[in-house]
Amino acid sequence: MRHVIIGGSIAGISAAKAIRQSDPSAEVTVLSGEKARPYYRPMIPFLIRKGDIDITFEGDLEKRYGFAVAYEKAAGIDVAKKEVRLESGRNISYDRLLIATGSRPVVPAIPGIRGEAVFTLRTAQDARSIGKSAEKARSAVVLGGGLVGIKTAIALRKAGLGVTIVEKLDCILPGKFDRRGSEIISNIVEKEGIRVLTGISISEVVRAKGELRGVRLSSGDTLDAGMLIVAAGTLPDLDIVKGTGIRTRTGVLIDENLRTSVPDIYAAGDVVEYTDLVFGRSAVSALWTNAEEMGRLAGRNMAGGKAKYEGFLSVLNSSEIFDIPVMAIGLVEPDPLSREYESLVEDNVDSYKKLVFKGSVLVGAVFINDVENAGIYTNLIRSRMQMGGLKEEAIKGSLRYINFIRTVPEQTMSA
Amino acid sequence: MKQIFVRPELCMGCRSCEIGCEVQHSKDKTLFSAVLQSPSPSPRLFVEAAEDIKMPVICRHCEEAPCLNGCISGCLYRDEKGFVRRKKERCIGCWSCMMLCPFGVITRDKEKRIAVKCDRCHKLDLPACVSACPTGALQLVDLDEVPKEIRSRAVLSGTSAYRS
Repeated sequence: MRHVIIGGSIAGISAAKAIRQSDPSAEVTVLSGEKARPYYRPMIPFLIRKGDIDITFEGDLEKRYGFAVAYEKAAGIDVAKKEVRLESGRNISYDRLLIATGSRPVVPAIPGIRGEAVFTLRTAQDARSIGKSAEKARSAVVLGGGLVGIKTAIALRKAGLGVTIVEKLDCILPGKFDRRGSEIISNIVEKEGIRVLTGISISEVVRAKGELRGVRLSSGDTLDAGMLIVAAGTLPDLDIVKGTGIRTRTGVLIDENLRTSVPDIYAAGDVVEYTDLVFGRSAVSALWTNAEEMGRLAGRNMAGGKAKYEGFLSVLNSSEIFDIPVMAIGLVEPDPLSREYESLVEDNVDSYKKLVFKGSVLVGAVFINDVENAGIYTNLIRSRMQMGGLKEEAIKGSLRYINFIRTVPEQTMSA
Repeated sequence: MKQIFVRPELCMGCRSCEIGCEVQHSKDKTLFSAVLQSPSPSPRLFVEAAEDIKMPVICRHCEEAPCLNGCISGCLYRDEKGFVRRKKERCIGCWSCMMLCPFGVITRDKEKRIAVKCDRCHKLDLPACVSACPTGALQLVDLDEVPKEIRSRAVLSGTSAYRS
């Protein structure tokens, strides 16, 4: 069986591993358009300050798992002939194909945005370019207050630049944290010298003879800046599926076995649109953990398995913001008008915790500076378990693994 | 493969396992120095108690380990014996593993800012927690040799509460 995987990041690599584990005789080729050894993508903000740290997957993947990574970009798919056309002009045939092309940054159409000193952060190379530019710049503007924007802002601030985050919505981390959590994180980064502007957009990128000078804001003010980082979100990279008949919406649509609408073609990772376990609708995830899981299950199924994928949590973030651990899981900001949800909040001087329930099912959680046992809550959210009496323990903050264990009466032990 | 088997009915909640673990993971590996070490070494397992039960909650070194699968830095890896271990120098303190461990047995070293977890005392024949347990609530056993009714009791009372 010949497997071809388009995409050499975590979804593709975990699929390749899973295929080889299920079927050691399978032939697996991973096509990586990015001409770099597979690496831990979430680590790239660290490359801004230290371009030489090693973030690659360790060891020889071919020796360890028996699959090859070809550093070639796929240019098209011929679904009738079951062939992938490469940019080099070569064609390779497949029995099973995985689309794992990931996502790419959205760059809003703002006058002047095309040109030097404007960056996105998606690849290791992007991070190194930002790092190099930061050596000369004194100040930077980060467009977008999502996690990528904040991590970039932190790296640039630590490199000594004056940094301003410009977020067009009225809080940072929109959709990723609840309002109060977002406010707390905003306070943390502002205390460390990062300026945060919300409810404001950039109307123009100001240049003089092509050279970046700053940005003009929707408020009319201008900000001086030697560099601009665009971190306005990502969208699935759908170029390769155009014209193939593979069904898409925002992302590639898959069934519960991670198959696309075209036979023998699977999809996994950021490129996919699928069920969010608590939102009650489909979503794209753009998260490493989810991409790893999708890749692993897709790979298993490509090798003949029947793994069922229930869906992901498109909010599943853990990070450290200037030494403060912060986590958000599931549905963290329910519609305030909805009576279906109940939010329990503990807002202390040095920590913050929020649990969101739908009846006796936990659907969301936020933890700031008090993250012990968070995984227990994540697992509850994922499994959508009816908590019954455990809800009280959860609210008290004393929920532990032991609470799930009940001693079994002797008479049930006869089997 | 031999595994650590927990028998809650034998646990009296004495926390000897936690102490054994702390000593093993202290600088000089003696009780005396472990007590004096500052910050004090942290255990990798935790004796927990609910209404009618006490037991040490330990890392399972899961076959599909959420901590390992979700590690974004390449710190966690599976060693040749099948144990999920850390390459400490690669931990960046993102706490993804803590967010994902369904047993709550990964903790934060607040000084070094890295994740702390069980290494199954990979250099020892008998893990320190098992050696320290005075009642047999923690045993290192070949699971195939454990009588069926004892295993099924463990399954019924334990992890089946989780559906994932």
